[in-house]
Amino acid sequence: MASAALGLAFGLLVAPAHAKCTDIKGNGDINIVGNAFPVLQHISVAMEACKRRGLSVAVKMTPEARQETERAFGSGGVSAFDAAVVSMGSYSVLRSKGQLQSMTDLVAKYRARYNIEERMLVKFNGEVMAIAFMQNAQSLYYRKDIFDKHGLSVPTTYAEMVATAAIIKAREPSIEFPIAQTFAKGFDVGTEFANLLVGNGGRFFKVGTAEAAFNDANGVQAIAVMRSMLPFMTPNVLASNSDDVMNQFQQGKAAMGVLWASRAARMDDPTASKVVGKIAFAPAPAVVAGGKSATHLWWDGVVMPKNMASDRDTVFQVLMEALSEDVTRSGNDTAIWIRSAYRPTRFATGVLESIAAGAPIWPTEPFFGLAHSEVGKILPEALVGRLTPKAALDAAAAAYTRSATEQGFIKAPAATAASHP
Amino acid sequence: MKTKTFFQFIGPSLALMLVLMAAPLVLTGYLSVRNCSLQMELVKAQESTPFGTNEILSHQAKLGSDGKALENCGFVGLDYYRKVLGITDSSAPKASATQPKNEFYAALQFTLIYVFVTLPFVLGIGFLLALGVNNVTQKLKGMFISASLLPFIITPVVAALSIKWLFRDNGLVPYLLSQVGIQVFWMAEAWSARLLIIIYGIWHVVPFAFIVLYAGLQSVPQDSLEAATIDGASRWQKMRFVTLPHLMPLIVFLSLIHLMDAYRVFEPVMVLTQGAFTASVQYLTYFILLQENNPFKASAAAVLTLIGILILLIPLLVKTYREQRGGM
Repeated sequence: MASAALGLAFGLLVAPAHAKCTDIKGNGDINIVGNAFPVLQHISVAMEACKRRGLSVAVKMTPEARQETERAFGSGGVSAFDAAVVSMGSYSVLRSKGQLQSMTDLVAKYRARYNIEERMLVKFNGEVMAIAFMQNAQSLYYRKDIFDKHGLSVPTTYAEMVATAAIIKAREPSIEFPIAQTFAKGFDVGTEFANLLVGNGGRFFKVGTAEAAFNDANGVQAIAVMRSMLPFMTPNVLASNSDDVMNQFQQGKAAMGVLWASRAARMDDPTASKVVGKIAFAPAPAVVAGGKSATHLWWDGVVMPKNMASDRDTVFQVLMEALSEDVTRSGNDTAIWIRSAYRPTRFATGVLESIAAGAPIWPTEPFFGLAHSEVGKILPEALVGRLTPKAALDAAAAAYTRSATEQGFIKAPAATAASHP
Repeated sequence: MKTKTFFQFIGPSLALMLVLMAAPLVLTGYLSVRNCSLQMELVKAQESTPFGTNEILSHQAKLGSDGKALENCGFVGLDYYRKVLGITDSSAPKASATQPKNEFYAALQFTLIYVFVTLPFVLGIGFLLALGVNNVTQKLKGMFISASLLPFIITPVVAALSIKWLFRDNGLVPYLLSQVGIQVFWMAEAWSARLLIIIYGIWHVVPFAFIVLYAGLQSVPQDSLEAATIDGASRWQKMRFVTLPHLMPLIVFLSLIHLMDAYRVFEPVMVLTQGAFTASVQYLTYFILLQENNPFKASAAAVLTLIGILILLIPLLVKTYREQRGGM
């Protein structure tokens, strides 16, 4: 909720979008849902600019967009929303449940008018199921002034990061806790684990199945890496979400850490930051020397449900107006856009270098969210030492297996299945 | 009153209660004993994203002739209740040092701690404030009442966020404490995270107790107080034997309301700690619904939560019922 509030507040600072909307044919009441962060505020302004007599467009921005989208698109009747702005994690679930409609014909019809670029198209077996507009990843934020002052080089592995943190803690009196990262219980700590597990060569699931595989030696090693960072992080770390970490950087209390690229521009916001111009960005460190950058690539895009109420042609036009080149240009620094009209600035450095350093794509299994949430819930027990890393991962794997079985991703044992037709 | 007139009066509110409260409750109970899961199959597919094109193995729902995903729905009895309560078959490993605590019991434990720790403080501080304001001059009363009510007026999420910003790293409170040599990291340990939520709960609800008790103090019978004074009663005795008995129905009412409200504690857990070191039953239900995205299991947790609050409220409800009957 805090991020939503900040997102909305920041959104007000964003330059107005420029959607022309003059050529839209068709009428109706169009309802769209999306999350609440700066770039979505920018896009929603462009969508709502298409309102005219006979055509109403309402965009609902909420931190619970994912759940609202899944419920609306999965409802037995007509969906409450005609389109949704989703991240790739949400897209995978909707697509696997067969709830998205193909936009292939609409793309063919409007490709020239809206200059829809090939890289924007998310296809499944050749059918366009989503139109992506931005990419995101976590990258390394670091205080360039402090690194220069002490002659430190930018860490390329987590081991180097911890070693560098020890030097900063010893030599730099202004920094008590050199590393700031999002270890908050739930989504945040689960995401950190995913980055480190995959970066260490591990997998969440056994190949081609929904069975848990994250409770192996790679998982234990990932937790060991996280624990090695704890002495250099604030003791409040299990409640540190993206807002808190951003605040630690802005207040000059952190020297380095891996954080979402979408927060980068806020480092130079003079109304909130004491370190304007002092933060530099690099790829997220690897777990093993010479390994891939330990982060994941995300895309965000728009989708339309099968059970939509409005005219699909009109809805598509409104979406494309909001993803136009003009809207991209007017909100250039609000996101790392996919359109070629985007001009990367220094805030995009970390992500672009992470991509070049081979960062993997965020897992797209529809049951990944379940595993991610169970890990996020139990992992803090291992970080505070109440459970051993192996015991925590085994408990998370068992809880995940129960949830995945309840939802049909893993077949229930024969006896149970017979009693629950 | 004629029966017909009686029903005409209560009809609208009864209908609203049935539609907005009873029906959702029945539906929640119904959902909690059912489960629906999709029929999934493994398919090979080619997927193109902004990051490239790949051959993937993907789980895909089987679709019916109407293009909708096929589901297996059925009655699962008390399965979800057993899962939420951690009741497993005897072959499963028992909770031990290598197993996390059952979430529901952990959440229930904190909720009960919260309920019973905050209640006496809310009543005690509210009463003292009411006495204090009752004794200040008329001019100052308005100012004191307005100032005392402020925490109650503020939206809970906004209030919790404000408290979080006061206590977070580099916040005002840790900074001031550090100036006198005390360093506390409020989210670093269970006791401090819990204490913060309890402090927030007391701060937020005391004004309600204050305003109700203050109103009660206005109606304390002056003749009884004067009679007590003539009989030689001390201030304390007048308070103990005249004022407090007069306020007792209000104290029961406040306890009832606070027990219900405190059992639903949610915003501070969600905003202040995000569930680290502590979770309430309400937070747990929210987590199951949103993170596991399982409305059936969340319904079972919701029904258990409801049963818990009914158990808590029984003594007070019985007392209130007897008083109402006695008054009829």
